[in-house]
Amino acid sequence: MAESTALQKDLARVALGDRAAFARVYQATSAHLFGVALRILNRRDVAEDVLQEAFVSVWHHAASYQAASSQPMTWLISIVRNKALDVVRSAAVRHETGMPASASGEEIDIEDERPSPLQLLTQATDALAIRGCMEALDASHRQCLALAYYHGMSHSEVAAHLRAPLGSVKAWVRRGLERLKKCMENIA
Amino acid sequence: MNYNRADLLDRLASEYVLGTLHGAARRRFDKLLIESPAARDAVHAWEQRLSQLAASVAPVTPPARVWAATEARIGPTAKARQQRSWWSTLWKPALGFAFGAALTFALVQLMPGAFVSLDGLAQREQALPQSYVGLLLDREGLPTLLISSTRHGTRVTVKSLRPVTVPAGKVAQVWALPKEGAAFPLGVVVPTKPPGNTSFEMSATSEKLLANVTRLAVSFEDAPAQAGAKPGEFVLSGPCVKLW
Repeated sequence: MAESTALQKDLARVALGDRAAFARVYQATSAHLFGVALRILNRRDVAEDVLQEAFVSVWHHAASYQAASSQPMTWLISIVRNKALDVVRSAAVRHETGMPASASGEEIDIEDERPSPLQLLTQATDALAIRGCMEALDASHRQCLALAYYHGMSHSEVAAHLRAPLGSVKAWVRRGLERLKKCMENIA
Repeated sequence: MNYNRADLLDRLASEYVLGTLHGAARRRFDKLLIESPAARDAVHAWEQRLSQLAASVAPVTPPARVWAATEARIGPTAKARQQRSWWSTLWKPALGFAFGAALTFALVQLMPGAFVSLDGLAQREQALPQSYVGLLLDREGLPTLLISSTRHGTRVTVKSLRPVTVPAGKVAQVWALPKEGAAFPLGVVVPTKPPGNTSFEMSATSEKLLANVTRLAVSFEDAPAQAGAKPGEFVLSGPCVKLW
């Protein structure tokens, strides 16, 4: 992928302190990464902070990116998701900001036209050859993975959202991941 | 919890990446990631798998203030540029790249906290005491030991970045390689588990011993090397620089 190769080169230059390369990386990836952060955080201001933190971190840690073993987008997404999850895991912040998915059981309020996690999952798998793998999962497994991945929900939040016992949700997540891995290994 | 079981490690890695591993368990796993290449590999594999799911998330252009704030935080930068060019002229380009990348990596490992604050890198560098610093890479070029000693001190601190296994009955001998002339022994290091520190004492100050030394290296010897001894095969080696 040409785009990916260009990103790799720019990240290598960022490791050397090249600000122009850093600007190019931001240009090329910030909209996608902001989308990912918004999904998890559901608040623009918090997502903006997370995006900023993530890129400051990219600037300082670009040297630890290993081009040989990882796509640049994979690396960047992991940084953004980890920062977003850190924020979302802080119970204080959830309450303070009125973020969705508190453990109290209320439904997530997706007020706008954005697709649901399940629709996203379908779109993602449409774009890739792993659709069969996702479809092979039980619906409950698939839904757990989508809520955790796209909304950064914890086990108990998923359980509250689906009105299912916590123990079942834990098992669904675990089995969903195991089966996804097995299936993707077979494809590869 | 026994992290050595591959299946358990993989399961924890999968939930770590998915985000459902949280609280104390997540923090424990964060620590494990620093020490365990197997854990890093497992997380890596899961990041590859699950990041594909992010492909379907619609991009949303962030407001311009995010870039402005980010740029402000990575530091200003005439000064930083000057210092960087100092680094890059010090070494031939290829070595400069490897060393710059490795040193950044090592410093991030050494003081991760320092790199998330608002201060620029330039200020940090100025705050470091006058020291000699060597970064020893293994044969694959991975930063393994960070060696430092203050300019007028005789004690050498050795920070482990990656595990070093000294064969039974051998010692890890540190050598200094001057710009001209033969390598001479500096001392014996007993590497600790990363990210631990250990130290040894030199026969004189860094300024006396290291002023003309451009590289440091480690070999495994049967016994601590005496002055005038010749080194065996180097298992680690890397540049040695003055930090001022």
